[in-house]
Amino acid sequence: MKVFVIDVGICNGCYSCQIACKDEHVGNDWSPIAKPQPDTGQFWLKLQENICGTVPKVKMHYVPLICQHCDKAPCIPACPINAIYKRDDGLVIIDADKCNGCKACVDVCPYSAIYFNEDLNLAQKCTGCAHLIDGGEWKIPRCADSCPTEAIKFGEESEFKDLIAKAEVLKPESKTKPRVYYLNIPKKFIAGTVYDPIEKEVVIGATCTVTGKGGKKYTVKTDAFGDFWLQGLEDGIFNLTIEAKGFDEKKYDKLDTTEKDINLGDIPLDKPKKK
Amino acid sequence: MADGKVKKVDVKPDKTVYKSLALGGLLGGGGECSIDVKDGKAVRIRPFHYDEKYDRKHLNPWKMTRNGATLEPLMKALPGTFSLAYKKRTFSPNRIKYPLIRVDWDPNGERNPQNRGKSKYRRISWDEATDIIASEIRRQHKLYGPLSILIQGDGHGECKTIHTPHGHQGRLLDMMGGFTQQVRNPDSWEGWYWGSKHVWGQGFQGMMSPAANLIKDISENSDMILFWGGDPETTPWGFTGQYATRVCYFWTQAGIKQIYVCPELNYGAAVHADKWIPVLPNTDAALQLAIIYMWFKEGTWKKDYVKTHSVGIDYVKKYVMGEEDGIPKTPEWASKKCGVPEWTIKALAREWGKKVTSICHYFGGGFIRGPFSHEPGRLECVLLGMQGLGGPGVHQCQITYFGMPRAEGLKSIRYFNPALTERLRIPCRTTIDAWGKQLIPKTLIQDAILKPPLVFYGSGGQECQTEEQFVKYTYPIEKEKGGTLVHMIWTDTPCRITCWNHGNWTIDAFQHESIEFVVAQHPWLENECIYADIILPANTTLEVEDIVTNSRQGPHFQSVTIQEQAIPPVGESRSDYEIVLAIAEKLGLGEKFSEGKTTRDLQKDVFDTMELGDMTTWENFMEKKCFVYPVAKDWESDSPGFRKFYDDPKKNPLQTPSGLLEFYSERLATNFPDDKERPPYPKWIEKSETHDERLSSERAAMFPLLCMSNHGRWRTHSQGDDITWTRETPTCKVLGSDGYNYEPAWINPKDAAKRGIKDGDIVKVFNERGVVLCGARVWERMSPNVVYVDHGARHDPIIDNVDRGGAINTISPDGLTSKNACGQATTSYLVDVQKVSERDYQEWRSKDTESFDACFKRDYDPASGLRFNSWVEGGMQ
Repeated sequence: MKVFVIDVGICNGCYSCQIACKDEHVGNDWSPIAKPQPDTGQFWLKLQENICGTVPKVKMHYVPLICQHCDKAPCIPACPINAIYKRDDGLVIIDADKCNGCKACVDVCPYSAIYFNEDLNLAQKCTGCAHLIDGGEWKIPRCADSCPTEAIKFGEESEFKDLIAKAEVLKPESKTKPRVYYLNIPKKFIAGTVYDPIEKEVVIGATCTVTGKGGKKYTVKTDAFGDFWLQGLEDGIFNLTIEAKGFDEKKYDKLDTTEKDINLGDIPLDKPKKK
Repeated sequence: MADGKVKKVDVKPDKTVYKSLALGGLLGGGGECSIDVKDGKAVRIRPFHYDEKYDRKHLNPWKMTRNGATLEPLMKALPGTFSLAYKKRTFSPNRIKYPLIRVDWDPNGERNPQNRGKSKYRRISWDEATDIIASEIRRQHKLYGPLSILIQGDGHGECKTIHTPHGHQGRLLDMMGGFTQQVRNPDSWEGWYWGSKHVWGQGFQGMMSPAANLIKDISENSDMILFWGGDPETTPWGFTGQYATRVCYFWTQAGIKQIYVCPELNYGAAVHADKWIPVLPNTDAALQLAIIYMWFKEGTWKKDYVKTHSVGIDYVKKYVMGEEDGIPKTPEWASKKCGVPEWTIKALAREWGKKVTSICHYFGGGFIRGPFSHEPGRLECVLLGMQGLGGPGVHQCQITYFGMPRAEGLKSIRYFNPALTERLRIPCRTTIDAWGKQLIPKTLIQDAILKPPLVFYGSGGQECQTEEQFVKYTYPIEKEKGGTLVHMIWTDTPCRITCWNHGNWTIDAFQHESIEFVVAQHPWLENECIYADIILPANTTLEVEDIVTNSRQGPHFQSVTIQEQAIPPVGESRSDYEIVLAIAEKLGLGEKFSEGKTTRDLQKDVFDTMELGDMTTWENFMEKKCFVYPVAKDWESDSPGFRKFYDDPKKNPLQTPSGLLEFYSERLATNFPDDKERPPYPKWIEKSETHDERLSSERAAMFPLLCMSNHGRWRTHSQGDDITWTRETPTCKVLGSDGYNYEPAWINPKDAAKRGIKDGDIVKVFNERGVVLCGARVWERMSPNVVYVDHGARHDPIIDNVDRGGAINTISPDGLTSKNACGQATTSYLVDVQKVSERDYQEWRSKDTESFDACFKRDYDPASGLRFNSWVEGGMQ
């Protein structure tokens, strides 16, 4: 049974996967696995860009989104004419010769991975390049072959057991049992730079602690640039304390990471008032 | 379930051909791809796999390790993304399919130069076109002499050798008594060329060279790497591919800190940076000086090395500490200029003083292409010198341009490949050498035509030696040596408007009455093509048979590949070589030009001069269609970078007069004693007679933002602006509310809010030199006070000096790098950005209704941009 394992941690956002998919499918007819993809506007592999934080604490990550080839694919029962099927190797295919364009599958896909080709009156999506895999010469689909960092991996589930154990699936709440696994999708961060406004120097080694839901704590020390990056935080409310020898403690209450990552900017620490 | 019911799809290609689809060109390949051809159609473009024809053992892969992390080559090439989309280039709706003549240009009557860029074209035959061109050449020779023909035959392009895209016309005209050469100047590495050369000698066009084994030495010894300005995730795509990305990920795994110093969160910073330090464009010199100040103050520099390896540190010290001008170049001083907080400057200086640090670039970026770029270029040498340049882990490195492990038996890693025969190299000379009898730097073309005569120092030729920067040139040269003004232009590089300085004046020059004839050859109808009188359709690499030496030291392995024709030529197009040959034949020089050699003969010449016979046989090579070089067994013994100089500067001198690092250049002092813009040792230049482009300027009241420009991620300079698939990415184009796909202008949310600009809005970027329409990309990838627009977008004039296509260089300064350095200064200049309003459109229309209406009526498709049909009478499919 085939799986995709996609390591977001080494995706450089080059879009080669998205473009190689188009190269394979635009203007080429691989019926009945796939008829041609429209030149523009549809992305059987779509790279999603995420920009997190504010200047200068900004990080990006990219998530390649494809049909998740779910084991409990809602598109299969949704198709009134049984044109969508799951192969023995796990790939989910819309039979390009059978599909009659009713669009029922497009609406039920929780991943918005099915596109509708108006010109051909046809639902279309990632096929895992089944036409190539079946030919025998190709072991991996075009997106994986074109990936410069091997962030997109494709192969037997057994072969990737260790990676899958560390991976997550997108939208687990949809309970469709995707066959696409993701590694290293970043969680939220709270970051800043701590400095001494009198000496105009960064403060190195300041202890920055956030306390989240249920009293869970994360601690880091500021680095040689006075920076702290509290990474891997869940969505939620956090209280932050910054402590450094010779300075007053600084507190931030109710930092909310639900919607976005937080950059607190350059944070001056006050010296204790002389008694 | 449909198992067993589905028939297998026939996916087997009829043949697979190899093509190098990077866009650097100039005889060296990169972006190696395999193209599967089926039923006469290119069905698929995919990365070339080294192990398809050669096994891993033959390739002898290298290995680098540090802190438990390992980097080894993959068995496939890593082409840049646009290479994989190259079908869209070959089959662009904007391809020129037939020879064209401008309808109101009559060689025997009215030539109407003023209508260039306005009037349309009609189709003519090859025979007719080549007749006219041959007769115009004879006419020029008779009236003015050979030097009245200007050759624009330089720059980047597709990777081809026999059919290389530029310069064949130079070879032909050289046989006929010469020509005036547009000398291609640095267009990515200005500051190192005009600055660093004076400190560390010639280098590779000014960048640090020798550069062997830098990746290994940095991997093993550096603790910190500064990516200063350039972007490893962008510019390498045009030359070799995406190898740099794997190196950067490896360095992260190995715990080597990567600090990005650049105004924008570039694509490398976005995924690799441990820290991003946004600096205002072209203020890096202030930041550099403050770091030097801190090192002097705290004694954290290698005094012994500086004593034995350099001259002039005392001048630097006096200036930096304020003994010369009363202004100590403190972090406080610098912070006001460069926008980096004082405490961050101090922290950076201390980290650098403590940690083994290299600086990595590719090319381009806000750091090295602005006004006075030789100053940050030289200061970089001073900084590296003060920390023991050439020692373990202390280098300047053009990541994956040089510095990768050496291949066994590869004769040259230079991309213009001196190993090839003279016959194949001559066209390329127009890009790298100043070899014409009469020279005009590319930066001065518009001035040469609009306001001759000219005097300049140094032609700026890519391979010119440092000393050449002191040579005084005039245009025209003396009459008795054949000197004359230019009256005809033969261009195969129609991108000056969008890639060079003050592009708007390029247009004025092309429309000038002194220019009687312009002939352009190009695959796509874009940029200056529409200012030509005759346009000839060139074809793309998919359409020709060739051979390419993938000799650049970027890929995991180097190779030479036979590049078979994948598909027949589009329309009546011919290769650039075939075009010039057709004209040579009309001039009676066909045999001399071709030397009677077939494509196969020339392929064999390459095989022979590369001495591939030592590695394989001709028969074996032709059967495999490729040879992949193994890594040299003893590659690890190559001395890295400047190590020999580091170990013994007396025995291994640099190519400077003293043989040492010249922080103070006696040569600059002697040759240009009054030069305040490029003094003998590097300084902070606030403004000068040449440029007034800083936020401190009075002009900033009207134009309060700094415009920075880099090489685009989705183009190589101007190449590739019409690829429908890349244009769908959020950083390639911004779809405006009027259905036009605009070039993005990155702007910080704070600056946007002040102007009521929202993401996706159509905005005007403008200064006194003109207006460029863009699509706003409002986001945190841009630091405040800056707007960022890549150069190279296809020009689409609305009226004079107002462009809709996003060709930002149309409003870049005309002024040179500095008065005695004829580089371009096409980043970091003052502009403002505002939402474009109905009133703007009305104003432009009232100025020139005819041009305005023509612009908005042009055949346009947001997917690919402007169409060929708009310019051709009756259109053509």
